[in-house]
Amino acid sequence: MARLHRTVGMTAAVVLTAAGTACTGSTSGGAEDDPTEEVTIKFWHGWSAPSEVAAINATIEDFEAEYPNIHVEAVGNITDDKINQALRAGGDNAPDVVSSFTTDNVGQFCSSHVFVDLAPFFEESGIDPEETFPETLLDYTQFDGVQCSLPLLSDAYGLYYNKDAFAEAGIESPPKTLSEFEADAIKLTKSDGDTYSQLGFMPNYHGYETTITHYASLWGPTYFDEDGNSNAANDPAIASAYEWQKHMVDSLGGYDKLEKYRATFGDEWGSKHPFMTGQVAMQLDGEWRAGMIDDAGVDFDYGVAPFPVPDDQADTYGKGYLSGTIVGIASTSEKQNAAWEFVKYLTTDTDAVVNFANAIHNVPSTMDALESPDLDVTPASQVFIEIAQNDNSNTTPASPNGGAYQLTLQDVGYGYESGEITDLHAALEDADEQIDADIDQAQ
Amino acid sequence: MSRVASPATSPPRAPSLRWSRWRGRLRIVAFLSPWLLGTGLFFIYPLIATAYFSLMKYDGFTPPVWTGLTNWDYVINVYPFFWPALRNTIWLVFVVVTLRVLFGLAVGLLVVKLRRSAGVFRTLYYAPHLAPPVAATMAFVFLLNPGTGPVNTILGHLGLPEPGWFNDPAWSKPALTILVLWGIGDLMIIFMAARLDVPLEQYEAAGLDGAGAFSRFRFVTLPNIRPILVFAAVVGVIETMQFYTEPLVAGKVASGQIGGSGQQVEPGYPSKSTLTLPELVYNLGFQRFDIGAACVVALVLFALSMLFAVFLMRRGSGFLAAED
Amino acid sequence: MAEGTVIAADVRREGSTRRQPAGRSWSGRDALEWVAVHAIAVAAALFFILPVVFVLLTSVMTDQQALTRDLWPQSWEWQNFKTVWNTPGFLTWWRNTLMYAGLGTALMLVSSIPVAYALARFRFRGRNVVMMVVIATMMLPPQVVIVPMYLVWSRQFDLTGSLWPLIIPLAFGDPFSIFLLRQFFLTIPQEYVDAAKVDGCSDFRAMVRVVLPMAKPAVAAVALFQFFYCWNDYFGPQIYASENPAAWTLSYGLESFKSAHHTNWNLTMAATLLVMAPVIIVFFFAQKAFVEGVTLTGVKG
Repeated sequence: MARLHRTVGMTAAVVLTAAGTACTGSTSGGAEDDPTEEVTIKFWHGWSAPSEVAAINATIEDFEAEYPNIHVEAVGNITDDKINQALRAGGDNAPDVVSSFTTDNVGQFCSSHVFVDLAPFFEESGIDPEETFPETLLDYTQFDGVQCSLPLLSDAYGLYYNKDAFAEAGIESPPKTLSEFEADAIKLTKSDGDTYSQLGFMPNYHGYETTITHYASLWGPTYFDEDGNSNAANDPAIASAYEWQKHMVDSLGGYDKLEKYRATFGDEWGSKHPFMTGQVAMQLDGEWRAGMIDDAGVDFDYGVAPFPVPDDQADTYGKGYLSGTIVGIASTSEKQNAAWEFVKYLTTDTDAVVNFANAIHNVPSTMDALESPDLDVTPASQVFIEIAQNDNSNTTPASPNGGAYQLTLQDVGYGYESGEITDLHAALEDADEQIDADIDQAQ
Repeated sequence: MSRVASPATSPPRAPSLRWSRWRGRLRIVAFLSPWLLGTGLFFIYPLIATAYFSLMKYDGFTPPVWTGLTNWDYVINVYPFFWPALRNTIWLVFVVVTLRVLFGLAVGLLVVKLRRSAGVFRTLYYAPHLAPPVAATMAFVFLLNPGTGPVNTILGHLGLPEPGWFNDPAWSKPALTILVLWGIGDLMIIFMAARLDVPLEQYEAAGLDGAGAFSRFRFVTLPNIRPILVFAAVVGVIETMQFYTEPLVAGKVASGQIGGSGQQVEPGYPSKSTLTLPELVYNLGFQRFDIGAACVVALVLFALSMLFAVFLMRRGSGFLAAED
Repeated sequence: MAEGTVIAADVRREGSTRRQPAGRSWSGRDALEWVAVHAIAVAAALFFILPVVFVLLTSVMTDQQALTRDLWPQSWEWQNFKTVWNTPGFLTWWRNTLMYAGLGTALMLVSSIPVAYALARFRFRGRNVVMMVVIATMMLPPQVVIVPMYLVWSRQFDLTGSLWPLIIPLAFGDPFSIFLLRQFFLTIPQEYVDAAKVDGCSDFRAMVRVVLPMAKPAVAAVALFQFFYCWNDYFGPQIYASENPAAWTLSYGLESFKSAHHTNWNLTMAATLLVMAPVIIVFFFAQKAFVEGVTLTGVKG
């Protein structure tokens, strides 16, 4: 499916670039600065945890050592809303290089020319993106064939499980199919009146990474048909994800009881994460969690495995949802060539990618870096590297209004898990209509 | 200037009159100049621009394109947040405004009754009104946290049901209402002052007639403070339509989606139950960058606010009159 | 005068006029009423105070305990406040908030007082229209005009990422303050102004020398209201300053504090208290001005 998406994308790219050159000349106009002159560029990123900030700053120092004429001024803890806003405002405060934790807004960034098309830069530097980056990662950094951003490390999602709790419940190995998963989750759940002393798995959509799109990736969904129309009601894969989630909610104690328990959870990014406190025994989460667990230190053994797959797709075990941080160059920047040197270094320099991946426990985002002997491979990270390289792993496609379609689908999920929506098919049809109308409005 | 004028040097009459009239006008314009500039720059211009953009497709990057009423159609017929926000606003207008007026009145009259100890209590009752809304909201999301918050802990000890408050669509607006009632201080003072303004003789006369406490309230206090009640209610409606910080922050904090990079903030958590019209302007204009649609919502908000403002000026001619 | 009457809000006034007549002794019924009224007052006080008490108790708990159902801290971790205070940025937020509130209030006073004076003292055609526009803008939600205003401040002036788009407009009069001041100015007898003018004062000097000193309570009230409006403002900094952490205010920073601090409720509650504290402290010192100010808003005819 990724391949198909890409072919469609490439065809569209040809059409678009042919039509686009006439009226969007401004996007290439900024790239006239001399990258060998003394220059300072502004770089915005979203990292806020001290260890992550230290890691990105170390990467920046290495870059400055290699390119002594380019200075990088980094600003952290920036959200996508602010990026969007600042890039529209332009001016002295606006950044030259921007990174975002989510791939959701790539469609918006590319189609509204917030980020410049990187194709001319590839050509100039002699980089072939298809030989440099894994395919899924290129998928989520482009829209309609315009490669306006590049992957800066990637995220793969898998199953974390509490080995001590597994041993106590007499479970020997992590589940591979969803029916095994359900049985294990029930075994691991210890009810305590109207709450739990331990929960096998938190299926509710607000259980941090347990969103509908992360679940649905297990079924290999197609969110948009060939015409670009929303496909949620037509793709049984998507309905299956909703139904399975609802089934899990019901078999683990029901929505209300789970919600109440969820309210006792600590923050997703802190040391009070419910998996780390032992409140839940299994968690769908990204590779970064391993680093956080190791940093915080927990009093139990944990293991990592690919998330179990639907029983009828047992042969695809090993796949997972992929996403990642992306980085692009602001079209308002007047230092685009210098910015490109920095972006090129961040995203394609094998040492830079490997060191940064080691420091923040993410999956590297270039083919060379994935194979690099310098990469710290732990048993946990090995699992995620394999998920990242699995052919069946997939991601959520970019759309011109960003992640709005995901929010619409998620909304159906909230209604369905709480019992407010009973007719799932009708709700998905409404969602399709909504998504199409939203995209129309955005285009 | 007329003080030093002598008949010999006084200029012909007519020009002097015209001059002084001009001077008078200039003086008025000079005094009003900050306001004239401010109103033009920060009210009339942006209002016209808002109306203009509401008819354009504009994402802040590519130049605006005329699309007629497309944005209006989108907001009213497609945009999934518009009607929930309007429904929430109506709910809040009815429940919050009613409770605010009743509670404010009750507390205001209570303070009057306290007489000598009034000072201490008045201070205590008024202080929460000043708490910064972000801080107050974060405090209440913590207090009303369904799992570990003190309120549910106490309710649990008492054997009472423990609502989901800010995490439950059925309870999120009541939770916001409690937060608003906590900051009732301003109304309390207004009602207190209104009650103190009732001529003492009227109570004395009522007392001679043998009226009880309730009759005194019904036939003396209430008629006297009625204009203030209307004033409080209408201002309450206008304030409620501007409800922004509290629902936004409550939704963000309670959902745990508080502005980390890469997180999609879900407006109106839970289940759109805390969406308000001002939040939509932010969502459309500063998250989706659909500037045209944001301006449509802004105009709806403007029309509703002005409707009540006019109502207030009409009904409240006594205390908001422009003429003297 | 009639319609601009300001209610003196002091309870003591009633207290003095309704002092118990000397000869009358306390009846049992009075005592009963006293107890009942005070019982209700204490109950109401709990509603207003308990939230702050719980916030305070949580703010001195350990990270662990703050996530439990315990209401009373096992150990008193006062250093939580120090941790918050030393958070990178916290002092910057303070400085920015103070600048926004201080400078904004000063500019508001300078620009609003002459307008209010003109509306109260000068007779001219269109005065009613001006008054109506003032009232209308007073009730205008800031969101109505935010989109074009943001475009102007970012495109024409390149001032986004700072608090200037919030401060500069205050130099052009604030409708709410104009309205309040005007109502108060109306209560000052015209004779004082006339007397000053007979002595050769211009209108401006009459305003500064005669009217302003008599209007001190109203000026204090609008200044306080403006100061607190700026101090508490969240929407403005969210729109204009969010993209530049160096320009954040306390209200905006407090929210981000929560995301950066990974929901340690104890630290978040400590930060909440530190943001509330100055407001409450100022209130205790300036209580009278506040009460008079609020009463002014309820001016009646």
